[in-house]
Amino acid sequence: MNEPDIPAALPPTHPAALHARADRATPASVRVAGVVSMLTVCGIGWAAGLDELLTSAGFRAWQTITVAVLVQALPFLLLGTLVSGAVNAFVPAHVFGRMLPRNPALAVPVASAAGVVLPGCECASVPVAGSLIRRGVTPAAAFAFLLSAPAINPVVLVSTAVAFPGAPEMVAARLVASLATAALMGWLWLRFGRAKWLRMPARHSGHAPGNSRWEEFRTGFQHDFLHAGGFLVLGAMAAATFNVTVPRSVLDTFADSPWLSVLFLAALAIVLAVCSEADAFLAASLTGFSPTARLAFMVVGPMVDLKLIALQAGTFGRAFAWRFSAATAVVAVACTALTGWWLL
Amino acid sequence: MRPGLQNVLLLLLGAGVLRISLFSDICLRYVKEGLQPYVVVAGLMLTALGALGVARDGIPFPTRRQPVASPDVHPHPAGHDGSGHGDASGAEPGHGNGHRHAPEHDVDLAPDPASEHGHDHSRGPRVAWLLLPPALALLLFAPPALGSYTAARDSPQLVVDYDSFTPLPASGPVPLSMTEYVARLQQEESGSLKGRTVVLQGFVTPGKGGTWKLTRLVVSCCAADSQSLSVAAHGRQAPPADTWVRVTGTWRPEGTLGTTSAAIALDIATLERIPEPANPYLDRAPGR
Repeated sequence: MNEPDIPAALPPTHPAALHARADRATPASVRVAGVVSMLTVCGIGWAAGLDELLTSAGFRAWQTITVAVLVQALPFLLLGTLVSGAVNAFVPAHVFGRMLPRNPALAVPVASAAGVVLPGCECASVPVAGSLIRRGVTPAAAFAFLLSAPAINPVVLVSTAVAFPGAPEMVAARLVASLATAALMGWLWLRFGRAKWLRMPARHSGHAPGNSRWEEFRTGFQHDFLHAGGFLVLGAMAAATFNVTVPRSVLDTFADSPWLSVLFLAALAIVLAVCSEADAFLAASLTGFSPTARLAFMVVGPMVDLKLIALQAGTFGRAFAWRFSAATAVVAVACTALTGWWLL
Repeated sequence: MRPGLQNVLLLLLGAGVLRISLFSDICLRYVKEGLQPYVVVAGLMLTALGALGVARDGIPFPTRRQPVASPDVHPHPAGHDGSGHGDASGAEPGHGNGHRHAPEHDVDLAPDPASEHGHDHSRGPRVAWLLLPPALALLLFAPPALGSYTAARDSPQLVVDYDSFTPLPASGPVPLSMTEYVARLQQEESGSLKGRTVVLQGFVTPGKGGTWKLTRLVVSCCAADSQSLSVAAHGRQAPPADTWVRVTGTWRPEGTLGTTSAAIALDIATLERIPEPANPYLDRAPGR
């Protein structure tokens, strides 16, 4: 997006300039998304009869699903902001420099394998990746971590094994395809990424001498949570809208074609925005589809979905979120197809 | 969003989350049972964060203690807690006016002016206002559990593959979960349900032309991933949609029992209305 027109006389570090940037960056995206949500809701209301809007079963189901996605994601979002706040306030920047290989091309696969350690769903990984970048980790490695953490952590792999009893190759395929996608996206960012797409909000960057670390931790945590929480609500509303308006019978029309079914389940994962710890159960229930199509659902879902796009737009900027999510979706489908052909 | 309002928002959200998870089981309308402890922890954290913020920033309404920053009411103009931090209201009266903190907290929240203004923490993100409607909804009018509207929208029928079935009790009506009833009809080769009276419970989903189904929704994580179980009900007029009922009846013999041709249906003998269970997505055999 275009730069906010800050008066040229103000130096960029002037408080007014920073406030102007911070105040304008968020509301523009919020306004657009808010208008879209309002229009969608009004559209449903118009279809159902405006007077019956507030009591119609569809609107109540929409409310329930919005609240459900929020309540379900809150603990994980808090965990993620807690970790990212702690990284910001307590971990010195040079620690990450030592842990990751100096060569960014090597740091990418190491970071994507390190995704194993963050037990949570995708809501937790976005703020953590944001704080890693602020602490000097090369963005490519942070993005590889962002993509792999929700897909390959132990909780997710165990739930996949439970959902597909007697099919360990499904767990292996999910691990391989997710790791490959994360590493590929990291390398793609190294090769083609532009720093100007990243517009991280002007924010605290680590510990400033003289401030109480705990107080910095609290204010940073509060700010991160409120910011990400707002975008989470936005994503939850979008997912609920699709959940309520798109009939599931559409599923069956795509189940027969092997290629269309892969693309279709990938698209379904994006709009349904199911938590990565639950998506294996949903994938297992889609019995009409080929194993590769169901793998696509589980590989794309933790990496790209509506609430994630909203969260990323809030954390890294919209210009980044759209490009990154679109590229990730394409790479994830390609990796899924290859892995499925190899393992399934 | 001003700091005081951020704290109020956090307190409201925390209270709403605790109301549905700690003080009632309403959260089971939204998430599966296993997540409840985590939701409680999230509610406690939000409440603590908001309370801490209120303690630090003060409440967001104009108070009588406005002239806090003026040096003459300040008990110790500089470094009064001995921590060595710069005291904004003492050293920088111009900046001190911007704070609404009680004097005893001044030192903690008054970093040097550069870092104070270099961060936008004091003005929280506006997108956070989107958290307000769900927070109020949780606190005041928690949305109901998903019901017949969702079940009727052909969400996928849940099929659980059973390796083996425990033998049914020798006599009397058999209480079964809907999952087990559906699985026994289509997978149990011995067909032991033939002629047996079973007890099921679920809610009513009306169909076309006066037909109705006994349904349940089952979630694996939250309500967004619900799948339905439905049994065509015969022999009784449809109660109102979303009514929870306990029914006894026998399998309606259509198709071959133990194969996928077996109709998932029930001839109802008795029907009794029951209150909505606390955990509406947990498919269990009805108690006696």
